[in-house]
Amino acid sequence: MTTPWTRRDLLKASGAALAALSVGRPAHAQAPKPGGTFVSAQTTEATGLDPQLVPAFSRSRRSPMMYNQLVRFDAEMTPVPELAESWQISPDGLTWTFKLREGVRFHDGQELTSADVKFTFDRLFEKSPGKSDFIAVDRVEPTGRYGVKFLTKEPFAGLLAALGGFWGFILSEAGIKKHGDLNTAALGTGPFMLQDWKVEQQMVLKRHPHYFKKGLPHVDEVILRIIPDEANIVAALRTGQIHHAFLEDNKNFNLLKDEKTLTGYRSSRLGYDFLNINASRGPLRDVRVRQAISWAVDRSQVLRVAASGFGRLTAPATAPMKQWQLPEEQWMRYYRPDLDRAKRLMADAGQAGGFTVKLGVIPTFPTMVLGAPVVAAQLKRIGITAEIENVEYAVWIKRWLAKDFDLTMNTTPGYADPDTAFFRALHSTKGQNWNSWSVPELDSLMEEGRRTLDQKKRKDIYDRVQILILENVPHLWLFSADTIDFTQASVKGFKQHPMTLLYGFEGVSLDRA
Amino acid sequence: MGRYLVVRAYSMALTLLGLTVLVFLMLRLIPGTVVEQMIGADAIVSPEMVAQLRRFFGLDQPWWVQYSRWLGNLAQGDLGTSWRTGKPVVRLILERLPVTIELTLLAVGFALALGIAAGIVSAVRRDRAVDNVVRVGALLGLSVPVFWQGTMLILFFSIYLRWMPPVVWVDLFADPRRNLTIMVLPALCLGTASAANIARTTRACMLDVLRSEYIRTAAAKGLAGRAVVMKHALKNALIPIVTVAGLQMGILLGGTVVVEEVFTLPGVGRLVLWSIYQRDYPLTQSTILFVAVLFMAINLAVDMLYGYLDPRIRYGE
Repeated sequence: MTTPWTRRDLLKASGAALAALSVGRPAHAQAPKPGGTFVSAQTTEATGLDPQLVPAFSRSRRSPMMYNQLVRFDAEMTPVPELAESWQISPDGLTWTFKLREGVRFHDGQELTSADVKFTFDRLFEKSPGKSDFIAVDRVEPTGRYGVKFLTKEPFAGLLAALGGFWGFILSEAGIKKHGDLNTAALGTGPFMLQDWKVEQQMVLKRHPHYFKKGLPHVDEVILRIIPDEANIVAALRTGQIHHAFLEDNKNFNLLKDEKTLTGYRSSRLGYDFLNINASRGPLRDVRVRQAISWAVDRSQVLRVAASGFGRLTAPATAPMKQWQLPEEQWMRYYRPDLDRAKRLMADAGQAGGFTVKLGVIPTFPTMVLGAPVVAAQLKRIGITAEIENVEYAVWIKRWLAKDFDLTMNTTPGYADPDTAFFRALHSTKGQNWNSWSVPELDSLMEEGRRTLDQKKRKDIYDRVQILILENVPHLWLFSADTIDFTQASVKGFKQHPMTLLYGFEGVSLDRA
Repeated sequence: MGRYLVVRAYSMALTLLGLTVLVFLMLRLIPGTVVEQMIGADAIVSPEMVAQLRRFFGLDQPWWVQYSRWLGNLAQGDLGTSWRTGKPVVRLILERLPVTIELTLLAVGFALALGIAAGIVSAVRRDRAVDNVVRVGALLGLSVPVFWQGTMLILFFSIYLRWMPPVVWVDLFADPRRNLTIMVLPALCLGTASAANIARTTRACMLDVLRSEYIRTAAAKGLAGRAVVMKHALKNALIPIVTVAGLQMGILLGGTVVVEEVFTLPGVGRLVLWSIYQRDYPLTQSTILFVAVLFMAINLAVDMLYGYLDPRIRYGE
């Protein structure tokens, strides 16, 4: 009989694994060598490049290569100045004034001014689905050449998170008016300029010579190749055909971790995988049934199968949202599977005999495909038959927007601020209300959280929000898979980011010696 | 000949017109449009925004208006602009066409070489062991689905022979050797069924011809066996083979969709698939139409070739 591992053992082992991974990185900083072409591979092509019109994460990941935000989150998920040098909030909490960095140049050589920022947000509010992030912003006004004011309808604590999120990239007004199309032209201030894009083949980007961060980027050229099959990406890494890849299927980590020529990177991700429950459908309306589902699902088993165990269980605020963390003992107690309790709850809800629901899966998302059978098998134990239904992405989105599902596997790149993380997903009337539910107490708490600028008070509010979520089960936070990247050992300066956006390429250099 | 061409052109135009209706309507029968994808899963959207997007893509118009607009543009030689990439469709096709043409030609070359050789040997050695092997092989070649064969080839070569073709695409002209290493497995895979087809046709035609009296005369005259087979028999057996090979070329062109996906080659086939997943209607519609025109052009060229191979066939006379 094998001895079961304790949590301490696991922590030790993963610590050792992480330490082993860091071998091969230089012990002391060397001056990065400039020049060279850096080749990265991705399985998924961007569905377009316009930072305001394309919601797909494949677009968001690439945007930091060509664009900058006013504010960005550092590796610790703290907002730091980017195109904005500093900012202030008015005493009534309704006006945020940002001071722009001077001398920042777009790819066409023009200087960034407040007019570009205003133009960017006017365009965003007019035609972008991303305006959901800025829901409380009324308008944006320039204050001089290098200043810009965000006027909000009510105090809006989530503004910095929105600016540093997936929709906050700053465009050039002149550039857009000249080119119109943001898919084929390079119009940002970012470290790389779009040179050529062959769909489903490769994207070529050249170094931006006037990038505002002095000395960056180090490499002359970045090529993003599309290799749709991750097995081929693994082969390409092994044979040195590419410099970098981000793994989507975490089991491939085991295949590569011992390769001497590669450096592995593993860290916690802001995003998480979850199980949506449509609370307007049949028995799922009853909170006791949803609680029973939560007690029946063994999240660590789902994690083990869907992400080969590389990741962690997560509270509604994931690990990188450090300042919003609930103490682990407070949320973990909701995650210990308890079949008796689940069955009792089903019986109380008059569902002792069970029922049948559909469980949606998008076949191109490996964690959904792998996780769904585990969830279905676990639900079976309390009499719920979850019929797995493979739904193509475009159809899934259509059904999702129409709230036409019972249960569905889901995944999100995550949100930096609890307002963006919870309000939109869970507010019953003013948000998107993913699960078609309503808990009035939670609604008012989230509204309060949005208006509260005091950090300590906000933390208290969102602690209560998280507990209410765990008790009322809108959806199940299943796990947060680790972010895994591999580079050739000759690549220096690569950094992962909890949002998994490609911020890390500007600091990359190639050691060709 | 001229009249024949006019008739053919006329029937081609009618077929294409039918195809435009079919492609147009079938695409719209698939649930989901580009609009939902543009909105994404995460946005709080107002009905106005949805309406605005639908208007932007012309999806608010009745289908016949959308259809006639597309047809009108086609008539002016405009294949349209891809919704998702913002690039002209014709440019996207031209970027990828060389890969698909190369793959098709390599597959046809392989199919012809293997198919004709196997067919001749099989006919000459009728009912002997080698004939049986060819016949069973051809049956297998015809019945194994391309996607399965492709996956098996990849597995076999990488696991048992430890040989992996380069996974990063290079153009033929940039690095011919590397390019051909990438292409060899896909071409084999794509050409197998055609080789089987050609082998069977060659065998049947050769058997037919070998039974005829002029062959017996040639042999009786004392000609060497090789000369009888290659010079006298093969040339006359060639016409049906050319027909089959020509048709195969069109079929192969369609087969590239699957093979390009399995082997992840950046050709027109994968472009079509991508555009369908993205609900990029102009890209899907016009690319399929383009492939259809190519298919018809090849068939026409094959038909023209008969006249050359067999002077007895003269069109329209």
